Amino acid sequence: MDRRRFFQTLLAAPLLAPLFGETGSGLKDCTLYLIGENPHVFFYPLLEEMQKVALPQAKYFHFLHPHPQQHLLRGILLTHGWQEKVGPTQIDLAISFCRLKNKAAPSFSFVKSGQIWDARSWTLRSIWKEMNQNNPPSSCLTIASLMGRTIETHKGESILLCADGRKREELSLKEERRLSFSTHKGHISIQIAGGEARVSDSSCRGKVCLYSPPISHPGERIICAPNHFFMEIQGPSLDTAIG
Amino acid sequence: MCELKVFCSPSQFKAAKEAVNAVFTDIEAHFSPESTDYSSEIVLSLYQKAYTLYLDSGGKFDISVGALSKIWGFHDQSYRVPTLEELDGAMRSVGMDKIQIRDGRLILAPGVQLDWGGIAKGYGLDLAANILKTKGLSNGFVNAGGDLYCWGTNPDGGSWRIGIKHPRKSGFSGILSISDEGAATTGDYQRFFIENGTRYHHVFDPHSGFPAKGKQSVTVVGPEATFCDALSTALFVSAHPGSILDKYPRYSAIIIDSDGNLTTLGKPVIFVSVE
Repeated sequence: MDRRRFFQTLLAAPLLAPLFGETGSGLKDCTLYLIGENPHVFFYPLLEEMQKVALPQAKYFHFLHPHPQQHLLRGILLTHGWQEKVGPTQIDLAISFCRLKNKAAPSFSFVKSGQIWDARSWTLRSIWKEMNQNNPPSSCLTIASLMGRTIETHKGESILLCADGRKREELSLKEERRLSFSTHKGHISIQIAGGEARVSDSSCRGKVCLYSPPISHPGERIICAPNHFFMEIQGPSLDTAIG
Repeated sequence: MCELKVFCSPSQFKAAKEAVNAVFTDIEAHFSPESTDYSSEIVLSLYQKAYTLYLDSGGKFDISVGALSKIWGFHDQSYRVPTLEELDGAMRSVGMDKIQIRDGRLILAPGVQLDWGGIAKGYGLDLAANILKTKGLSNGFVNAGGDLYCWGTNPDGGSWRIGIKHPRKSGFSGILSISDEGAATTGDYQRFFIENGTRYHHVFDPHSGFPAKGKQSVTVVGPEATFCDALSTALFVSAHPGSILDKYPRYSAIIIDSDGNLTTLGKPVIFVSVE
């Protein structure tokens, strides 16, 4: 799979983690997108490559969402001296998981400071080769982001709705509502209830956005690439937490 | 372990980190339960503050509860409900009236054991923040877990936004916006054990010898983290927190009672409840 194809696959996925959007922050961040049934096999060498350009002293990790191979990934990180953090605190490495609608060839790519990072090394070349030769297609997407961030465990206040590249609405999550939008490419309906927002109908072909779980925490978003639509939970963001 | 955020060069940050570590190493050495230092300047200085809080709180804040912590097993995590005889014995050595200052040292009556846990962390935060400010670091915070001191502005140029942990759920009960202030939380969820369906926590009422009742958490905000720390304990224990806080007009309190109801007391503070 070449890189362009890789990101076409990603854009069709429900990006549950708030990671993808944050890569454009201009900070020295780096995010790994890894498709494969056994991410733990390749995870650590890929992480070491990322640490050449981002947070070399990083040592605190956290799973933003349950991961099917969580215990294996955790074991690898702990073996290498990383420490797991839970609860509201500052972390260096956020790991998330997303299931793609369709299986894709095992592969990986990096996004650094908002752009695809064309990293080339003997290590990466051999990992790529091994992944493609010996592993079946997979719908497991592991997202690992190296960036100093605070774990957001509180609920968001509002939801920002954007279509065709511009803001359409920002609505409180406290009010139950249903809305429909027409975009240049089709239409999409959303529902806000119980402090959560989800897509309730979409004209897109894959319906990946429709099958995404509801979102409620600041930074979480659902993207419908075919409809040029995304929605994102807004603030409040925190500097730190006590208690 | 502390979380430290300041805006400076890498070399300044290294020096800041070392300074904060040195402060808390010092605090640990002087105020840990095993410490027998009753005469150093830092101990006498903090004792004076603790005694002020003891008087102002009608004895609800008391650093002489070390014997209670021991019989309830909180000192070594051997949690258990003590017998009434054990409780009576421990209560005979509780009360700051059993401590005197003579010839530049604290003189403890027989059996009295100090527990600085309700004030030492806040004191360390004030010391650390003062050192960092004198080093020219104009924006930052030091977060020692339950307690924090912040100064200047956050990276967005506004007040620091501090999440206050919910005492019963994951996430936060609300968000504080503060600057140049300390904040400290005392809660029944921080250290506790459950026996026969009853929750026994580590914040003792010095007048009864039992864990204080009626609240899930108390957060205090104000200019000195030392007083935030001690006041959060005093208000947690007291059935009349407003009367204590009246003596500290520059401090605010956010109280969640045992039914989960949230109230604020004292000086107005920007606090946005999450629910």
